This record gives sequence, structure tokens and C-alpha cells, in this order.
Amino acid sequence: MMKTETAPIPELADGLAAVVALRRLADDLELAEVERALQEGWTWSQVAEALDVTRQAVHKKYARRIDALGTTTRRHDV
Amino acid sequence: MFERFPRSSRRVLQRARDEAAVLGSPKLEAEHLLLALTRDEDPVVRQVLATARLEHDALRQALEAQDEAALASIGVSRTAFALPPNRPLTRTPGWSTSSKQALIRAKTVAAARHDGHIEPPHLLLAVLRAEAGTVPRALAFAGVDRIGLAVQTETALAGRR
Repeated sequence: MMKTETAPIPELADGLAAVVALRRLADDLELAEVERALQEGWTWSQVAEALDVTRQAVHKKYARRIDALGTTTRRHDV
Repeated sequence: MFERFPRSSRRVLQRARDEAAVLGSPKLEAEHLLLALTRDEDPVVRQVLATARLEHDALRQALEAQDEAALASIGVSRTAFALPPNRPLTRTPGWSTSSKQALIRAKTVAAARHDGHIEPPHLLLAVLRAEAGTVPRALAFAGVDRIGLAVQTETALAGRR
């Protein structure tokens, strides 16, 4: 069980910690989904459009990580 | 910015970068500093962390438990998503607010003690003094008395010379 005496206001701290954990989860999910889309033959432009971000943004964030995994991606639009 | 960091604490910062990268974290967070400190050779750091039995693996588990519990509190479970394991980061992670805060606090701690250098025990004390965020929550999960540990670090620092 968690000891709550170290947190200033336990309920509030729980809620805020949930936000942090959820952000991390969303980032992990984004990486996994971007990778999956690229494997399925999506272009970076299409992925960017689906995520409602610029192609530069999504490419900058993930290109090296996904390349490091040895994933074959369509790169002609980069 | 790091001119008052001797080789010993630069080693901690480098290890913290490695910890963040291995965990696939785009930012170097305070918890990565603490993970790095659990593998440090500084005698004060070793002594303090040994009394709390705070080893690298135990801290990793506590961090995961904290993360799981935080998600569970809003009805979310990681297992509901088909997520691959941690993806290592290939670039150098940037500083997060929590780790920047820890560096600033370490400088303040050293200055207050008139210590010319920011050494690993100063970094440990700085990380332990955070009252909110992932580190204090994970330490609570690990059953570690964070405040007691901070006091112990201060005492050990004072008794060093």
C-alpha cells in the first residue's frame, strides 16, 4: 500500500500523478502507433495529418527512434 | 553551468542520461538522477542508500508501481494497450523541470554548506528534498522514509570532514 504522508495533499497528488502517468502512456502509445502506421505503408505526411501535427514535428520526434529499430519505412516524402 | 561539478557528479549526470535513454524517456527526470545515484560509488551516497536498502532494481520496481497505481486511480491500465517494451532513445535526453530543479537545489545545498563543489551527496540530497512528483511517490511505494534519508544524507555530509 502506498504511504501518503510524504505527499502534501494525497488526493490532489494522486490526480496530478495520474496526469503525468497518462502523458507518458500517451507518448508511448503515439510511438507504437506511428511505427505501426509506417510499417503498414503510411507516409510520414499521412501520419502527421492523422495526428494533426506537422510532418517535421512527427519526423523529428520519431524518425531516429523508429530507424533504430530497423523498421522499413517509406521515406520518399521526407 | 557545470563548472562546479567535479568528475564524480558528472559521472552521475551521464549515468542519469543513460537511465533515461534506456527507459525511452525523452527527458532526463529527477527519477533518472536517483536511479543513477543507486549505482554510484560515492561513500556517502552508498552508505545512505544502503541503510534504506534502496537498490537500483528496487527503485525501478517502485517507479513502475507508482506509475501503475497513478493510472489505476483514473481507471486506466497499461496492459489494456498493445504496447511494445521500452524503446531506447537514440539521442541525448533533454532536462526536465524536475531534474533542472534538482540541479538548482544541489547548488543551493552546496552553497549553504560552503562546499565549493557539487558532489554526488549534494545531488542525492537535492533529489530527496522534492516534496511532490514521481520521486517522492515512488519512494513511498518502496517504503523508504524520504525525509529521514535526507536528514541522514545531511548528517553524513557534515561528518565527512
